[in-house]
Amino acid sequence: MIKHHPTFSMLQNFVDGDLPASLAAGVAMHAGMCPMCQQKIIQLTEQVAEANFEESSDLDLFTNDADMKTAELDFDDIIGEITASDDVEPMKAASIERSVSFKGTQYVLPNVLRNMSLGKTAQIGKLSRARILLDEGEIHTNLLHIGAGGSIPEHTHKGFELTLLLAGTFADEQGEYVPGDFIMLDKRHQHQPATELGCLCYTVANDALHFTQGINKLLNPIGSFIY
Amino acid sequence: MQSVHSELPSHQAAVTSSSMTNKIDHSQLCQWLKSIAVDRDKQAFTGVFKFFAPKIQRIAQSKLNNEALAAEVLQDTMSNVWRKAHLFDDSKGAATTWVYTIMRNVTFDLLRKMKANKEDNLSDDIWPLAEALNTEDDSFSDHIQSRNLLGVIETLPENQQQVVKGFYFMEMSQEQLAVHLNLPLGTIKSRLRLALGKLKLKLGEHHD
Repeated sequence: MIKHHPTFSMLQNFVDGDLPASLAAGVAMHAGMCPMCQQKIIQLTEQVAEANFEESSDLDLFTNDADMKTAELDFDDIIGEITASDDVEPMKAASIERSVSFKGTQYVLPNVLRNMSLGKTAQIGKLSRARILLDEGEIHTNLLHIGAGGSIPEHTHKGFELTLLLAGTFADEQGEYVPGDFIMLDKRHQHQPATELGCLCYTVANDALHFTQGINKLLNPIGSFIY
Repeated sequence: MQSVHSELPSHQAAVTSSSMTNKIDHSQLCQWLKSIAVDRDKQAFTGVFKFFAPKIQRIAQSKLNNEALAAEVLQDTMSNVWRKAHLFDDSKGAATTWVYTIMRNVTFDLLRKMKANKEDNLSDDIWPLAEALNTEDDSFSDHIQSRNLLGVIETLPENQQQVVKGFYFMEMSQEQLAVHLNLPLGTIKSRLRLALGKLKLKLGEHHD
């Protein structure tokens, strides 16, 4: 059973469209595996939509009559332009599955990831890492595979680290994790996940690399490898 | 990039009281979206547009703080409404939720284009809009509805049935159907239009 979920405020940010793509994708994949969070997201979306589109009196504060008139004129132009085209959106073709393979094991990726570009896979021992190229500056996103019997040495982050377990299981001091578990750690946490049979994770971290790079690289090459 | 730590901006939108619901005429909005889907009804689109446009403009302006970008969000959102109205399914949620989803997705892709210089349009993968007809494990009420609809579709002439079923149930594009049925694209389009006109009449009989 999934025990680790995004916080309520993270779900709100997800619904508002305010999370970076990396974290939004993480929440979406979790919700795909967690009916409880899916339901919360549906409800939040309804509420936010309702609140956004209700007739609000503060609209009057922003627009005076003159503004309204120009706006109306523009609107007629836009309506004409849009309705001039009779094209309709075709039904989406059945989605093509995308899979990746690590150490000889094939994994079907969640639909959320199907259009993201993946970098080359790099390996250190039992760890394999493929970057997901989202170009979000210091926020790095990876597919991280830990081979059977492998573990990640104890590490901490200066920022946050999201681990979403996609396949397989792993365990740390806190217990066992199953696919769908959404594990958000910050600098207060330390952990040392180990997997018996191997697992695939989606990870997002914003470690302030410029801050600790030198020491990190000397003392802890794994730390920068998984970032 | 956007903030991701726990000190998040407050969301006055999070909790709505039920009294707010009364201010939006949801059934009118649904009716308009259906008319757009079935008839390409420009009057109905104007209705939808006049309801949403000022609000979208205001929301986008406050989020993007840029008039040109806000105008782009408005234009893209409303043209998606025009092109995708047939994907709206009122058994899945309110019209406001559907339009909100489109607006949020358009804004997300636009911001990503600005900030990360990526035109990857990930929003529809993160927040899918039209899973309704693609998934088999749909809700109960949905099965009932599509069974009714199927009954009505089966009263159509065979050649129109083929096109409607191919387009709406087998997820084929008009172009794919033309190839599949070995007919000119124009024929596919006119059969689809005829069929939708008839369906609207027949479904209207039950609904009105």
